[in-house]
Amino acid sequence: MAEKKKMSVAEILAAARAEKGGGTSSGAVPPADAVAGPAAPQSPPADATGLSAGGPGSAESGAAPERPAKPVAKPAAGGRPSVAEIMAMARAKKGEAEAGTGAAPQKPSSPKPAAAAAKPAAAKPAAKPAAGAGPTKAAPRDTASILAAARSGAKPGPVTKAEAPEAVKTRLAESARPSPRPETGRATATHEPTTKTAALKTAPPMPTRSAKPAAKKGEDETDRRGFLSMAVGSFMAVGFTALSVTGGLFSLGLARFLFPNVLAEPPSRFKVGFKEGFPAGKVETKYVAQYGVWVVNSDVGGQQQIYALKTVCTHLGCTPNWLEAEQKFKCPCHGSGFYKDGVNFEGPAPRPLERYAIKIADDGQLEIDKSRGFQEELGQWNDPSSFVPV
Amino acid sequence: MHSNGLFLKDVAGFLGSYYTALAVMNAVAAYLLWKRKKEPGQALVWTVFAGVMMVLASLALSGSPGLVPALPAWLRGLVNRLSGPVLYTLGTTALLTILFVFRRFFVRPMVAWTILNGMLLLMGLSMADENFASIVMKPDNVPIVGLVFLLAFFTWVATKQAVVNDDRIAQGLPPMEKVNDEKVLVWPDLVYTELICMIAVSAFLLAWAIFLPAPLEEPASSVKTPNPSKAPWYFLGLQEMLVYFDPWYAGVVLPSLVIFGLMAMPYLDFNKKGNGYYSIAERKFSYLTFQFGFLELWITLIILGTFLRGPNWNFFGPFEYWSPYKVEVLNNVDLPQMFWVNLLDRPLPRAPQGASALTQVGTILLREAPGLILLGAYLLVLPPLLAVTVFRGFFARMGFIRYMIMANLMLLMLSLPLKMVLRWTMNLKYLVSIPEFSLNF
Repeated sequence: MAEKKKMSVAEILAAARAEKGGGTSSGAVPPADAVAGPAAPQSPPADATGLSAGGPGSAESGAAPERPAKPVAKPAAGGRPSVAEIMAMARAKKGEAEAGTGAAPQKPSSPKPAAAAAKPAAAKPAAKPAAGAGPTKAAPRDTASILAAARSGAKPGPVTKAEAPEAVKTRLAESARPSPRPETGRATATHEPTTKTAALKTAPPMPTRSAKPAAKKGEDETDRRGFLSMAVGSFMAVGFTALSVTGGLFSLGLARFLFPNVLAEPPSRFKVGFKEGFPAGKVETKYVAQYGVWVVNSDVGGQQQIYALKTVCTHLGCTPNWLEAEQKFKCPCHGSGFYKDGVNFEGPAPRPLERYAIKIADDGQLEIDKSRGFQEELGQWNDPSSFVPV
Repeated sequence: MHSNGLFLKDVAGFLGSYYTALAVMNAVAAYLLWKRKKEPGQALVWTVFAGVMMVLASLALSGSPGLVPALPAWLRGLVNRLSGPVLYTLGTTALLTILFVFRRFFVRPMVAWTILNGMLLLMGLSMADENFASIVMKPDNVPIVGLVFLLAFFTWVATKQAVVNDDRIAQGLPPMEKVNDEKVLVWPDLVYTELICMIAVSAFLLAWAIFLPAPLEEPASSVKTPNPSKAPWYFLGLQEMLVYFDPWYAGVVLPSLVIFGLMAMPYLDFNKKGNGYYSIAERKFSYLTFQFGFLELWITLIILGTFLRGPNWNFFGPFEYWSPYKVEVLNNVDLPQMFWVNLLDRPLPRAPQGASALTQVGTILLREAPGLILLGAYLLVLPPLLAVTVFRGFFARMGFIRYMIMANLMLLMLSLPLKMVLRWTMNLKYLVSIPEFSLNF
């Protein structure tokens, strides 16, 4: 426990409990000693014989072999006693003084064996009244009661007179597990070091302290909170409802912008004039600015065709320029080049330019439909609607 | 070659102040050298140089076309004729290699000062050329001119410290950073420095914005692309990469790999040396890999894209007029075309019309087999091969997974220069070309 590391509250409590546990197991009768703690100064009337007989005698002869208060022997062997050991010693003395008279018969100093022999049976009943009587004048700073208080969680820190009875009750309830018999005490005493370290390593489950006080406090505040949630919560609900409704309407309003009343776009179907306006070998660039289309009359695979090329580079979508002198489309962004028929031949463009659907309308004019595209690499240029034969 | 008197009259005032600034800079340097009383000879040299700069300044300020100092026309013509993407890339690589190999020489302050003056003088002389000036003095490009000098300076500073540290480590001394580890308080030292820098930079940016306004162009149109169309200067390296690759690779995969590779670096690095101080000798592999990726594959590509790429993304010499009608004969061919048509003299495998999807995919795979095999060998066979030969030590120290990540990142980084070389030497467009699925490599 002498680590430099700061201990958390949980660790301190665990350590304290471990120490106390050691103390308890080393003490002959855990319930009795806890109860007897505060009660000790007051108890003489309750068991005059026991006290008068065992009190001074046992205090001297602490190392009696059959004595249930084993740890008393420890300091002698281990040098400087730990807090736990000191507490255990103190408790053992008190325990002897009151309830440890089970050893009295063997004691040579015991003046009245008969009275002492009756003691073990009477130890418990006798302790209880003592407990009841204890708090009236008990020392409030008693370590056991403080630890008990810490354990019960009733109140951290010293226990006042008024709080003591409850602390003692919880303590009693908890220490019901270890047997108050001397044999068990001895057995656990031998295992003390291991249990101690084990307790340090693996923190015992947290005591069930919060159940009672929390429930008690909760009852008062449930109503207030309930009222608050009724009053404020409804405002919140109204607020959030209003917010979500507004947000929803706002989104709908935004979505409305996707469907404008007036569409300034050129129609996807348009007429570009008669076939005669496109002489062989000519790339017509006058529809680029408005429609994004080149109308070309050229020889493709031995057949003279008029077709509409989309003015979007197949690399990254820039608009290439038609270079009349070099008879090629050249993209200004990354230098891709396309032949007059739209087939890529230089730069990074991975595939030919795309075609739009073209046909001769009823009035004999060429009509281009931008809603349909034809890609060479998919074999779509053979589609009769991708060109008009001349 | 479109220099005329009108242009020279415009630029004369600027060149006059430019040379004056050079003269003042060297006069101050000479004065400081003389005050140190160590090398009076060098002080004399720089005083003379400052005097020459003053003469150039007065010549420039005269404003008469014949007197403004400029590079001779034959030299500019020669530079234009010689320059091309191949020479540019090989030249910068050679230059950086020389700078690295002889770094001990170049980190000397007087050598660096000489080089700086040479660069500035060369730039001043080139500025008298209209074509050069129109590109370099374009408001968009001014920051990149600054970048060249700033980057050179900071690389030089770091190299100098690394060389000093390497010498000290060789002698068994701790690096300079361990000796001069004086602690400085954040408040007030750092915060005050930052405040002063903030004010100075704000003032500088204000002045810049007033004197070099951003160029406004015509309204944007989806069917009209400016020629040349350039990305922001910091993306010009990316744009240059896109010349050699499909968009998905050069625009998505490679940039992501750059970012992920930079993030992976600390986890791939097993060399514990060089932590907290500059050193080249102790981390040669890391240094060279990083500088190759940064200086060679990023900075030089930015400079190339900014100053040497003109209309239609053609390459132009530094003194060449950016004519949109410049013809560059190029005919890029895909690898399948080379293999099936040129080598085996057969038509490309083509699935018959209306064939099942499986047949079509099979035909495509057969058509692209040469490229796919090459690519698979490059990315799957080469790493293990390197692990047992060149990178044997690396593999042992990094373990399988880290080594494979490192090797693949490196191979993918090298795919850019390799592809560039293939484009120049073989006119190769794509190793794997599957336009049916927009998959090209």
